[in-house]
Amino acid sequence: MVGSLNLTISLLEQTCVYLVIAHLLSRTRLFIPVMHVTIRLPHKVACYLIFSIFCIMGTYFGLRLDDSIANTRAIGAVLGGILGGPSVGFAVGLTGGLHRYSLGGSTDLACAISTVAEGLIGGAVHRYLIRRGKIDLLFQPVRVSAVTFVAEVVQMAIILLVARPLPVAVHVVQNVALPMWIANTLGAGLFMRILVDRRVMVEKQSSVFSAKALKIAARAEGVLRSGFNEENSARVARIIYEETGVGAVAITDREKLLAFIGIGDDHHLPGRPISSGQTLQAIAENQVMYADGNEVAYHCSISPNCRLGAALVIPLRGEGAHVVGTIKLYEPKTRLFSTINRTLGEGIARLLSAQILAGRYEQQMHRIEQQQQLLAQSEIKLLQAQVNPHFLFNALNTLSAVIRTEPELARQLVLNLSTFFRKNLKRPSDEACLADEIEHVNAYLQIELARFTGRLAVDIDVPPDLTHARLPTFSLQPIVENAIKHGTSRLIGDGRVRIAGRCDGSDLLLSVEDNAGLYQRQPGGDGLGMGLVDRRIRSRYGDGYGLDVECDPHVFTRVTLRVPLEELAA
Amino acid sequence: MIRTLIVDDEPRARTELANLLKGAGDVEVVGECANAIEAIGAINRLVPAVVFLDIQMPLISGLEMLSMLDPDRMPRIVFLTAYDDYAVQAFEEHAFDYLLKPTDPARLEKTLDRLRRDHAPQSVDVLGGGDLLRQIPCAGVNSIFLMKIGEIEYAASRLGGIYVIGADGQERFTELTLRTLEEKTPLVRCHRQHLVNTEHIKEIRFVDNGLAEIHTVSGQTVPVSRHYLGPLMARLGIS
Repeated sequence: MVGSLNLTISLLEQTCVYLVIAHLLSRTRLFIPVMHVTIRLPHKVACYLIFSIFCIMGTYFGLRLDDSIANTRAIGAVLGGILGGPSVGFAVGLTGGLHRYSLGGSTDLACAISTVAEGLIGGAVHRYLIRRGKIDLLFQPVRVSAVTFVAEVVQMAIILLVARPLPVAVHVVQNVALPMWIANTLGAGLFMRILVDRRVMVEKQSSVFSAKALKIAARAEGVLRSGFNEENSARVARIIYEETGVGAVAITDREKLLAFIGIGDDHHLPGRPISSGQTLQAIAENQVMYADGNEVAYHCSISPNCRLGAALVIPLRGEGAHVVGTIKLYEPKTRLFSTINRTLGEGIARLLSAQILAGRYEQQMHRIEQQQQLLAQSEIKLLQAQVNPHFLFNALNTLSAVIRTEPELARQLVLNLSTFFRKNLKRPSDEACLADEIEHVNAYLQIELARFTGRLAVDIDVPPDLTHARLPTFSLQPIVENAIKHGTSRLIGDGRVRIAGRCDGSDLLLSVEDNAGLYQRQPGGDGLGMGLVDRRIRSRYGDGYGLDVECDPHVFTRVTLRVPLEELAA
Repeated sequence: MIRTLIVDDEPRARTELANLLKGAGDVEVVGECANAIEAIGAINRLVPAVVFLDIQMPLISGLEMLSMLDPDRMPRIVFLTAYDDYAVQAFEEHAFDYLLKPTDPARLEKTLDRLRRDHAPQSVDVLGGGDLLRQIPCAGVNSIFLMKIGEIEYAASRLGGIYVIGADGQERFTELTLRTLEEKTPLVRCHRQHLVNTEHIKEIRFVDNGLAEIHTVSGQTVPVSRHYLGPLMARLGIS
């Protein structure tokens, strides 16, 4: 009994060494695959290799007793089975078993068989728990201990059954059973504990990191978008300073310091030109500069009394990875940079770079949009003010032709001309009702009809209930003028123009159709008026509205104007 | 009396000018035309001394029309325009007669004075009148057909007038004279009454008495007279 106790203590000592090795290895990448239940083949192979090594190691760390070995081989086999499943358990057991068999002794065969059995027991537990969906239970150290204990009981039974002669087997079991039960049961449980602890630590670290990164991202969202300037930089620097807990945070553009928060803000003043060599180098070479305060020290270029001793300078990149500035994290001489903050710093730099880029793009788009709107407005005004001189002089010529022979027609023409000019020159608002626009067009058409007597026919078909519909002023006339100027007036034969209005759901459709079919899409040029009308309607109501042109060459051109149907408030 | 033709696509504008011209006393308006095609025919038929010609007209502008006139029977031109900075500048530069619409009777009187002293036609080449034609206006029953030069196989003078014939064999009547076509297009004279498009010649077959026949790509036959055979061969680079 005393011998058994001594053996137990000795075997536990060996187990300690074994577990220290397991602990050290658990810190390496080797152990990543076994920290989770392994399903995919490459992970199963890794699992098999690792636990086979531990299985064999268990034999080596065992204590030779006569011709048998008190060992911790079971830990490897059972854990291999529990984490890798029956196949891995069997393979680990077989490997460990064959190794044991090669060492000989009266129990060699029995030990080999029992190691395989232990692996299979671990595998059976794995399969049972996985099928029931209780994966978490696999990682419970107590459960692993219990399974190992059972496996060891089975091993002793196998030795008694297989090893011959029987008295020798009984003797061996008497000697090693207790120490091995205790050592393996404890060892397996502790081994699992090491794995679980390691896993928890890794997850905790990454969750702390993600939480910090997400919080900074959420708080800094959109700040730099509205402009990369001192005010916004100061806000962002404060957020980073508060969230990371570094000694100080600075943001610069290419020339000067934009913001500085934290230790040393008494002499690192925003607006000062950049003086730090590391920052200048980071900007010039577009790379991260790191003075860890240990191997490379950071020396403040402004004040010799500055408490800062370590700096991380990360370039902020704009269009085409061009450096637009830097973000700098500092730690005082009394502290070193945490790895988390270093990695975080680079992530923050990427986040801010993206924001600056997005901000510049948005500003540009906004400016272009504004300019286009202004341009469209002024162009329309210009177009309104500028009456086609051909039209004007031809109208006057017609007038002079009829003034003696047809005085009544001449009077009508004068009235039409004055209506046309009044509508052209001045409108109280940007919007008019359809009746107003038709009046403008009608004045124009009456003059054209007088010019092209007999060669032009006009048909206006707009239902009375649409006459109150609203549309931008000066929308219809340019289309009608186009139909005549670039359409019917180029026909040798008779020209016809038809203006029709109708509802289409909640839209007002106005179509102007001529029988010339001479429409040609011109880049700029004569289509100027129509292009402006189209652009103005689109910028006002959206891309679903505007002008649509259909043309069947030499048969017809039909321009359809679409605006939302709205009644003009009386 | 100065025989005068008015060409303008606006009926009231024609009436107005005709009324103004009547007041002059020594001007006879022999016709009014609403477009260039009518005008070419009228000029060939009526042989006016002066044409008042609107620049802006459908299909063929006044300036384009000038290239289609027979150079031998070119009348004196007075341009009419309501507004055309560019053209007016060109008229001033080359001392052409022009009138702005609406027309000031005093200004018209000055123009008529010049015409009374000298109504010899000016060369309109500087205004683009010397340019080669790209297409030939052909009059249909109710339409005008613009035939591209490249599509014409040959042109023929028949009893009814001048016809251009394409690969489809259809004869299309044109107001242009053979002389105009010969001068203003790449068509080549091969017979007193025929011009041929050398691009469409497939074969020249010699017959008796130094005469020949051209067979066109589409299989039509065009006669070649003795007089024009030599120059035609020279033109084709065959000696």
